[in-house]
Formats: sequence, structure tokens, C-alpha cells
Amino acid sequence: MPNSSNHSVRVILVDDHPQRAAMVEQIMKVCDFDVVSTLSCASGLLFKIQEHKPHVVMIDMDSPGRDILESLSLISQHNPTPVVMFSNEEDPEFICEAINAGVSAYMVEAINPEKVKPLIHVALAQFEMYQALRLQLSSTQQELNDKNILDKAKRLLMKHQKISEPEAHKNMRTLAMNNSQTLIDVAKNVLAILDKE
Amino acid sequence: MNLESLSSAEKNHVNIGFMRLTDSAPLIIAQELHFFERYGLEVTLSREVSWAKVRDKVAAGTLDASPMLAPMPLVTSPGLKNNTSPFITGLMLSLNGSAITLASGLCKQIDLGTNKSSDSCPAPVLAAQKLGQIINVLPGQLTLATAYPYSMDTFQLRHWLTLGGICPDRDVKIIVLPPETMVDNLARGAIDGFCVGEPWNRVAVQSGIGSTVVSDYPIGNKSPEQALVVTEHWHKSYPSTHLRLRLAIMEAATWLSSPENRQVAVPIIAQQDYLDLPEHIIEPALLGCSLDSKQGGLEENPDFIFVNRYEAGFPWRSSAEYLLEETFELQGIAGDCSEASQLIEKVYRTDLYREAAAVLGYNCPSTDYKDEGCNTSSYLCKHAKEMGRDLFLNGEKYFSKQR
Repeated sequence: MPNSSNHSVRVILVDDHPQRAAMVEQIMKVCDFDVVSTLSCASGLLFKIQEHKPHVVMIDMDSPGRDILESLSLISQHNPTPVVMFSNEEDPEFICEAINAGVSAYMVEAINPEKVKPLIHVALAQFEMYQALRLQLSSTQQELNDKNILDKAKRLLMKHQKISEPEAHKNMRTLAMNNSQTLIDVAKNVLAILDKE
Repeated sequence: MNLESLSSAEKNHVNIGFMRLTDSAPLIIAQELHFFERYGLEVTLSREVSWAKVRDKVAAGTLDASPMLAPMPLVTSPGLKNNTSPFITGLMLSLNGSAITLASGLCKQIDLGTNKSSDSCPAPVLAAQKLGQIINVLPGQLTLATAYPYSMDTFQLRHWLTLGGICPDRDVKIIVLPPETMVDNLARGAIDGFCVGEPWNRVAVQSGIGSTVVSDYPIGNKSPEQALVVTEHWHKSYPSTHLRLRLAIMEAATWLSSPENRQVAVPIIAQQDYLDLPEHIIEPALLGCSLDSKQGGLEENPDFIFVNRYEAGFPWRSSAEYLLEETFELQGIAGDCSEASQLIEKVYRTDLYREAAAVLGYNCPSTDYKDEGCNTSSYLCKHAKEMGRDLFLNGEKYFSKQR
């Protein structure tokens, strides 16, 4: 969705998560926004703002350096408007969504807020996608962990009771059903008891 | 008081933000001593780090309510261009309780120990003048921090600098940092000093990183520090929940007004879930002592921080006028007074305070405006409790435009 009118919007991105920053930067460039700088932390940000004179600074709300942007109104002619304040009339839900996703943006130079909205929209989408990827990744890791626990418990049972793998598996399943536990809970119990021996 | 006569809460579960500052005491006490519960509210206190984030979370509805610094609900857009704010307050939480602390090295240069103060030149003024001499040699080299651009802390820091002949815009750099990161930044040398609420001044002094040069008591006593803020939209949706919230916090503040109870409050507030700091760090500010600038000893200062006394909970519209004037000055713009007064009436909701005071049978000022900085000793306000001395260190007086 390239849009040539976006090209007039200069953006600085600040994100402590380099992968997410790369995702956001890429999509912004695809949308023709002029990403003048991408920083991994807020130190040096004030200097970068003087250098690049961005219209918008977009920063992760949880970034420890985020408050430094509030300083702009004290040490420069700029009175940056935080995103939460510039569209409470028409589209409050979208702003709330952005804040809940951790996207925070500051309008540094006077610019039509209508031009900033698409920018926030794409950042918001990337933040959510990144979050989903992280959740997916952690659930994959969880599955891997579970599989390791299960295998180890089976091996211990096989050794301890001198039985085959299918028998060990069957014993654990029976235990799980009798005690209304999950297989992984049973495996953890097995480890707790047999792993010490 | 008959709780039955109150309309039932529209929303029972309420998320409230709080910061690691002694000003959070009324909220923590309302939670731990079950004042919220008595009013049928199930409250989650969410510990926050940054004022900017608190502002955004209340605006977005992630938090139902939160303390904010007194000017925050008024100043949400630069130059008040839209002259609107999504926020309102019906209860102030604390007055005073901040101080200015400078890095130890800098203090040695100022040599606070040998300062001879006099009536015409009190110690804090002398310290500012000495800092001014240092800055003459190193113009633009010092960085100081406050926790929010539009805050009493910023205004007071600027006033104090001006007393020493220092131009706060040109001679120093003032940046914004979260309160709990101030001491770390001072230790790392990223900043040379700060003006922030307790207990962070105490932490800096105790760890030998800084010395407190002045508390906000002499700079401008009875300065409104924090307000309980909700959005107007939230208030309209949950008026009874909001009333119950204010009542519980007002009762907690009344409980905290007794010195014996404050002693009881210290270990509660120090807990891991709340300020997460040693009791001896929190105790002085809560018990009404500010720091002696030299050795970090304590000087008795019962007005250092307080809730409840001197009509501290009343959202004086004259205080809001003063805060807006300071903001206009900081932004270098000429504010429109008639528009400003509309904004003040919309945001500082004296009617909501009176509503809660009537339920609790508390006295309440009959006027919304008072002169500020004109009273050398305690005085009685119409239909109200005793009011305290409220002089400004620079002798400034503020006469309310509407009386």
C-alpha cells in the first residue's frame, strides 16, 4: 500500500526489541513513510531529534527511556503531543488499542494528525503480530519442554521397573487417568520421585 | 455514616495506579486497612513507573483512576489549543513532600556547611546563589531532572534556580525521568540533581550520592502535589463508584492524619508490593520530617507532606489557576484567562469534593478560590478548617482572579 503522501512524514523509531523494530521499520518503508532513524534505546534520542527534525517519534511505551520525550517541552521550542491526546474526538478506541499494545507516539512537529494515524495503524499491527509470534514461540518452546520431561520420565520408569517403553507410557497414562492428572503432571511426579534416586 | 444511603457502585472492581512515592500512602492504607472494601469496592493497585504512562493508561481506560501530579489533568495539550482535557479530579491527595537534591560532588563545591544564612538570605537562597556562581563558570553544563514537565516539581526547581540568578531555560538543562530512576541516574552522573517527591531524596542522601538543598516547604508551602484523576467519561459512567472511591481514600487520609497512625503506616507502605524500600527510608517523610541539607540529618517539619490537614483534599480552583499560569510561563505563551477558567471549572471539580465531604460530615470551604502565598501564619478559611502558612520563598504572591 505505497502512498506517496506518506513520504512527507519523517519518523524516528525507538524500540528496545530489535526484531520488532526491524518489522515496524520495514512496513513503514513499504508504506512510504520516511523513517529517518531507528534506535534501540532512548539515549541520544534528543540529539537525534535535533539532527533529523522528525514529525513523529514512535517509541515502545515500556521503554525505560520513554519519559525523556516528555523533556522536549522543557528544553526545546517543541511541545510534543503524546498520541493519546490528539484524537480523543473521533477515534478513541483505536488510540486505546495502540496504548494497550504498548505503542506510544509523539507528534514533535506540527503536522496534520490525520497523517499520523496510518503510521500508528501500521505500528500497532506490527506490535500485535510480534506479540502473537512471541506467544507462538513460547508455546512451541513449552511443547518441546513437555516432550523432554515426558521422555525423561519414561526412561526413568523403564530403568526402575525394567519395562519396555510402551509399558512405561501405558503405566503413566493409567496413573494420569486414575488421579485425574495430565500426563505431563504425572511425568513431573515421576521425575520428582525417581530423579533423586 | 449510613452506607445504605449511598447508591450502589456501578462497577465494583477498580484498577488504580500508584507510584513508588510517599504520596501514595492514602491509597495503600485504603487498600490494606480495608477502607475500599467497606465501600463495596474491590481494588487492584497497579504499581507504575512513569507519570506519562499513567496519563496514557487512564486516558485509554487501562486504569480506572490514578493519582497524577496536580497540573497533569489540566495540561494535556500544548498551549491548551483545544482547551479540552479528558480528565477531572474531585480530590487532592497530598500537599508538599518534594525536595531538591544535588549530587554530592556539586554540593561540596557549593559548600553548604559553611553557608551563613540570615533572615534576608535564607540557606536555600544562599545555596542557589552559590550554584549560580558555579554555573557562571560552566554555563549549560548541568543537567537536572524532574518527573514530569508540567509539575510543581518543575515549577519549584525553576523558581529556586531563578533565586540564584540562574536562567532555567538557558543555563541548565532540565529533563524528565521517572521518579524511581532519579537516584540511579544521579549515581551514574547522567544528571547533577533533581526535584522529586519523597522517598527518593532520602534514598540519595542515605546512600551518599546526593545532598538535599531545599524541600518544597520553604519554596512554596501548601503546594498541591497529587490529585486523584479519572476521565470525565469514566465519572459519568460510574458516578457512584467514583464517590465511593473518594470516600474510602478520604477516610484513609483522615486515619493518616494522626501521628500514631502514621507510625503504623510505615511498615505497610514499605512492603514489597508497594514502595519496596527499607522502613527507615520512608519513615522521615511520612512522619513529617524533611532532610537537613548538610549531614542528611532530620529537621522537624510537620508540614513536609500531609494529607487531610489544612483542607489538603480540596481541589482549589485558585491553585489550578496558579498551576496554569506557571505552565503558560513555561511554554512561553500568553494563556487566555477566560478560556483557562472554563477549563479549570471543568477539571477541578469542587462539587465532587463537596459531595463526598457532605457524606462524611466534613467541613468544606464555601469558596473555590483563595489567594496563594499571602499568609504568614495559620488562618481560618470561611466554613473550613484551619489553613496553613503558605508563603513562597521568592516572596511572590498569587491573587486569585475570581473571588
